[in-house]
Amino acid sequence: MLENKQTVLEQAVADRWKVLPSGLTVIVRPMPGYSGTHVIFATRFGSIDRDFRLEDREVHLPAGVAHFLEHKMFEDQDGDAFAKYAKTGANANAFTSFDRTCYLFTATQQLDESLDVLLGMVTHPYFTEQTIAKEQGIIGQEIKMYDDSPEWRLITGLFECLYHSHPIRSDIAGTVESIARITPEMLYDSCRAFYAPGNMVLAAAGNTTMEQILAACARHGLMDPRPEGRVQRLWAPEPMTLAATEKTLTMPVSKPCFGVGFKEEPLASGDLRGEALYDLICSCIVGGMSPLYRRLYDEGLVNPSFGGEVLRVDGCCCILFTGESDEPDRVKQLLLEEIARVRTQGVDREIFTLCKNEKYGQLIENLENVEDSASQMADFALSGQTVAQQITMLAGLTAEDADAALQRILSTDRMATMYILPDGTAPAAEDEEEEE
Amino acid sequence: MERTLIAPGVHLSCDPAEKFNRCRISIHFAFPAKRETATAHALLPLVLERGYADCPDMTQLTKKLAKLYGADLTVDARPMGCSHNLCVSVTGIKDKFALEGEPLTREYAAIALGAAFHPYLVEGVFDPQAVEIEKQMLKKALEDEINEKRIYCMRQANREFFGDSPAGVRQEGYLEEVEGLTSRQLTEAYREMLRTANIELMVLGCDAQQTAAVRDALLAELAAVDRAPVPLAKNIAMPRQQPLYKTETYDMVQAKLCMLFTLGEPMKPQELAAVRLAMALYGGSVTSRLFLNVRERDHLCYYCSASFQSFTGSMAVNSGVEHADAARARQAILKELEDLCTGEITDEELEDCRRGLLSGMSGVEDSLGGIESWYYIEVLRGGRVQTPDQARDALRAVTKEEVRSILRRLSLSVSYLLTKEDDHVGE
Repeated sequence: MLENKQTVLEQAVADRWKVLPSGLTVIVRPMPGYSGTHVIFATRFGSIDRDFRLEDREVHLPAGVAHFLEHKMFEDQDGDAFAKYAKTGANANAFTSFDRTCYLFTATQQLDESLDVLLGMVTHPYFTEQTIAKEQGIIGQEIKMYDDSPEWRLITGLFECLYHSHPIRSDIAGTVESIARITPEMLYDSCRAFYAPGNMVLAAAGNTTMEQILAACARHGLMDPRPEGRVQRLWAPEPMTLAATEKTLTMPVSKPCFGVGFKEEPLASGDLRGEALYDLICSCIVGGMSPLYRRLYDEGLVNPSFGGEVLRVDGCCCILFTGESDEPDRVKQLLLEEIARVRTQGVDREIFTLCKNEKYGQLIENLENVEDSASQMADFALSGQTVAQQITMLAGLTAEDADAALQRILSTDRMATMYILPDGTAPAAEDEEEEE
Repeated sequence: MERTLIAPGVHLSCDPAEKFNRCRISIHFAFPAKRETATAHALLPLVLERGYADCPDMTQLTKKLAKLYGADLTVDARPMGCSHNLCVSVTGIKDKFALEGEPLTREYAAIALGAAFHPYLVEGVFDPQAVEIEKQMLKKALEDEINEKRIYCMRQANREFFGDSPAGVRQEGYLEEVEGLTSRQLTEAYREMLRTANIELMVLGCDAQQTAAVRDALLAELAAVDRAPVPLAKNIAMPRQQPLYKTETYDMVQAKLCMLFTLGEPMKPQELAAVRLAMALYGGSVTSRLFLNVRERDHLCYYCSASFQSFTGSMAVNSGVEHADAARARQAILKELEDLCTGEITDEELEDCRRGLLSGMSGVEDSLGGIESWYYIEVLRGGRVQTPDQARDALRAVTKEEVRSILRRLSLSVSYLLTKEDDHVGE
């Protein structure tokens, strides 16, 4: 990389890191000229964190606790956090994924007050039987909404095929039955285990400074040392075999949806290089520049929704190819032939380089607005990495690395297939309905 | 943002937007939607995005964009009331980030203008082979609308609501017409667009010299077109009617309800601030009545929100509900509207909503997409183009009575429910 480009990139990245005495990692990226600031308070606690030892006691959670906890964090003895944000004008939200929970807001005014709402609500949990019962109805509705999504059902169906016991098999939000078993004690245990500052990251980007964010942390006791938490995640053994090789269900969809999943050896925690490499390999095999994609597209076998993705969390790594097609088995066959060909002949050097170019552009793009910038910083920080390290790591990946990885991944011995077939109720053309 | 008329029916809007890492060049074509060419205009973006005369092959174009560090060429069509809007845009990182010093912005302009004005033609018409492939893609997209129940419900409700009015033209295309569409018809629809559309060239994140170069290149392209721009379609409103209740059944886990209301007469530009506050108060924010009462207090739905479309003077309320609760949810949604029209509106809730809107408007110019959407919708809406600051001033002046006046004029026209068999009996 040219030296002057390195300077331009360093200026573009321009983030500042600090680990506070409490253990909290704080990253701030001041963005001159921007009106808003986006702040993310993230913890390494997601739907897969179901079993753990806390201070010599084992805790086993039903599916959906991390997501349930995310909802409940917005409520305390003083009322609803959204009502508090309404007094600052901030736009707030939160989300839970397989391995993290993130609380966030964007503010263009009263940033200190909004920071106080965020840090206050996440560091002062409050749960009762009554408030838990109230939330079960709303989350039950959310679960049902996802049950109607073919894309989501496809992914969760593939996880059920690929894994015997890994908690990725369970939906992030759990089920209506599993969330009915949640108690205040489970939520408090989860907070003690995973909402300790040492397990969390606070990232801010936009119209702010490190000093302003640290002052907010000080107001909430996050500058004070905390005892080391004694938490140990517990994992059931997960063999490299499949739980099932195939699964089919029917839904009101217009065409068959399909997914082909490959179970891979888990990547070491913090190994973003391996993930980036697998991602590039996917792009070389089925991305928009690949000969396979062009053939499938021209023959009308797939539409632009067809693609591949890598999913990795603790104890689990898989590569998924999903799409919709009238001939899913034909697509699967052509996909397997292409994987075999690329494994033998090596990845196309031109496509590999161009895919790296795209990823570089994406990293630069993600530094452009306050939301993406803070999200990218928080994402990498949760894995112990910086944006600058990512750019350097990306530059170091080679086609030879991809060829070597291809010798051990995407094996048909560890492949599962999931189909969602039309149940016959979706209209081929407009149906006339009777007026009520 | 500076906006200037550079030719009849052609404007340049530009903003150097120095703080951003990327730049964006987009060419918007706006013209009144027509029933007879709706399917052709729905297919056009797919064919234009595949390639152009200098780079006709889809895969080679993808590689070309990847070489430009993943620059993005998008050709999309968006309905804006009675207008059809086709936009060709290229977005990519600024020249200073190019690892080998490539003149990226120049390339972006060449691609955008190439895709818009120099499609790949075979014997004077769009390449028949490419057209056939993209027809299949359009068919799949139209058939797939049922897969996403929320969108399907909204579209079905809109079809009932707008009927045969110009805003009812299905700008996504008509499934039954796709197969019969020819390359010649598509080419004619394209030429008609070039001839009659109002054009907005938006150049964001480029310096004065780069902007001037894009402007001159566009004018040179237009010099070869026999231009006769037609006026933009005016904003409308559907007349009031007795509410129409319709139900469709599928095997689905959560029911979807879409309720459409009309203002009865087109929205006046000076009413926009009051409309924004009315929506935030009724159902457009987390401090709204629909969110706090129907979702949080009554637990009748997972989502329940209201939005207003100024081009058509219409309000949509969308919700995801338990099948058995659909009728109760509908009543609750209507009751919340009635309460705002006749009951108390507290200063606190009004100011909470106003504060949230003001804060959001302050951040509009923090993204390229935010800037472009804001100004282009202002242009299409007609009247004076408001900056976000001017809109904030107008919002600060809105009174409780002005908000009520907007809400009182809204009347229910269509209620569309997607639910499972047997559960709509009590509807």
